[in-house]
Amino acid sequence: MIKVQELSLFSRDKILVNNISFELQSGERLAVLGANGAGKSSLLKTLASERSPDQGNLLLDGELLAGYPARLRAKRIAVLPQQVELAFPFKVQQVVAMGRIPHGDEHHSETLQREAMQLMDVWHLRQRSYPSLSGGEQQRVQLARVLLQIWQPPQDENGRILSRLLLLDECTSALDPAHQHAVMQQVKQFADDHVAVMAVLHDIALAASWADRVLLLKQGKVWAQGDVNLLTEAALLQQVYDLPAHLAQRYAEQNGAWLRAG
Amino acid sequence: MSSALARLHPALVWRWNRTRTVLALLALLLPVMLVLALASGPVSVPTVQIVQSLLHAISVSEIHGQQDWIVRELRLPRALLAMLVGAGLAVAGAITQGVFRNPLADPGLIGVSSGAALAAVAVIVLQGSLLAGYAELTGVFALPLAAFAGGLIVTWLIYRLGTRQGQTQMAMLLLAGVAINVIAGALTGILTYMADDEQLRSMTFWSMGSLAYGQWSEIAVLALCIALPLLALPRFAALLNALLMGEAVASHLGFAVQRGKRWLIIAAAMMVGAGVAVAGMIGFIGLVVPHLLRLLMGPDHKALLPGCALLGASLLLLADTIARTWLAPADLPVGLVMAVIGGPVFLSLLLQQARRVMA
Repeated sequence: MIKVQELSLFSRDKILVNNISFELQSGERLAVLGANGAGKSSLLKTLASERSPDQGNLLLDGELLAGYPARLRAKRIAVLPQQVELAFPFKVQQVVAMGRIPHGDEHHSETLQREAMQLMDVWHLRQRSYPSLSGGEQQRVQLARVLLQIWQPPQDENGRILSRLLLLDECTSALDPAHQHAVMQQVKQFADDHVAVMAVLHDIALAASWADRVLLLKQGKVWAQGDVNLLTEAALLQQVYDLPAHLAQRYAEQNGAWLRAG
Repeated sequence: MSSALARLHPALVWRWNRTRTVLALLALLLPVMLVLALASGPVSVPTVQIVQSLLHAISVSEIHGQQDWIVRELRLPRALLAMLVGAGLAVAGAITQGVFRNPLADPGLIGVSSGAALAAVAVIVLQGSLLAGYAELTGVFALPLAAFAGGLIVTWLIYRLGTRQGQTQMAMLLLAGVAINVIAGALTGILTYMADDEQLRSMTFWSMGSLAYGQWSEIAVLALCIALPLLALPRFAALLNALLMGEAVASHLGFAVQRGKRWLIIAAAMMVGAGVAVAGMIGFIGLVVPHLLRLLMGPDHKALLPGCALLGASLLLLADTIARTWLAPADLPVGLVMAVIGGPVFLSLLLQQARRVMA
């Protein structure tokens, strides 16, 4: 559904992303991994239309993403940032309901809102004030909002069903291990309904237990991409993360265990 | 009862929640405040006469007797002025706070009002010399237009100074506001030395804010400058809500963020500029009113913006009535009354934020 063609991104004095190409199909879960500064977040921000490509193209079902109407794009692509700061005392339900803004039915979609809140286990918090929640609870509320945004597949004017993409930017970093896995499990369940997911992850083990494909970046370039089994190759991890050999070996073994368990 | 209605059609159930109750009470409060303002003064006027006079004013009939004249020619223009300025400043405050994502971003505190005042004072003093061409070109709009431009420039400047990557730093915002207030104040002071006696008299009220100079012609211009943005704003309520979660999130939700933000800043500067042009600097309305309403009805801009318009109008009416009658026959500048009310609220808000940062 989404195709990245020879994408490059530059900042004032350096190359953030260097000639990256890959494709993502509906129902696929792609984990983007790499050391700090490898270009993961810049790549995700471009897919989220926060910045435009300096070179190359992004195609959404064959159409240029840059020329796509923003409102329709929002019905198809939802983004969960690393952290959402909200100091104003909105109720949890109001925050989640904002996911319906692109659809224009914030006040007439209670059923969908409840389903999304129940999936993310925040239904019991719906009357609480958002700033009073813990970091983990806030992130689950945000995920409920983001999932609600693409809860159902939109249709074009001919009634054809359009595909959906979910982008996650290190979204579990504020969560404890139990919630990390629970959240990613729910994302998996949600994505099984023909939603493509691209997640930038810090935690290699989490990626091994969750993704079915990986994209490994180093200094803005694709170092390797393919099946999640790549994460069991110690030599590869050693190169991508500049790890000492014995640590890379340990990570690879651990990832193998996660893969067998998943 | 309500479930029977719901079976007929879900839209028939009028959900009487807290937000709607607050809005309804505010809509009732405003006429009460208006009657109170029209009734009080050196000559007290009975309520019946006020209602009659208002009906006369609406039907534009002849003035009947002294009390009718007092209500319609002395008190009504001033009351309308208070309502318009109050509504405009309160709504402008709510917008600025939404755009800056900070409940402390009051147009007065961050220097927008003093920028507008400086521009207006410059027009008054220099309209015979340096700005003669401008004054001739713009006519009755000379002051509001200049004040609008002054407010807009300061808002833009503050935005550039206080915001890094879409995140507004509270300390930077307030300190930049202090600096801009000082600079604008100094330049205004220099202009007062260039002014003649007559210009000085028309300028003195600028620094403290007063509604004593309300004229029908000014009210018409003011109504235009405040009503236009007010009518356009409901379209921006959802954008303001989304902006509170950050510009990136708002853009993910399908908003054209930069364009929307530009309109919001222009609307706020227009309302502040118009208010400053006719009433001088009246601070804290834009801080106190949105703060109070967020406590009562939550931060949803769909209800907050109309609520701010109603409560801002009521509050400034009340403050002006106090200013007129407290030390009568002296006419206190209403800006001083508002500062006495607003200062403590600002301090408590500041403490609240500081505590949140510490925690």
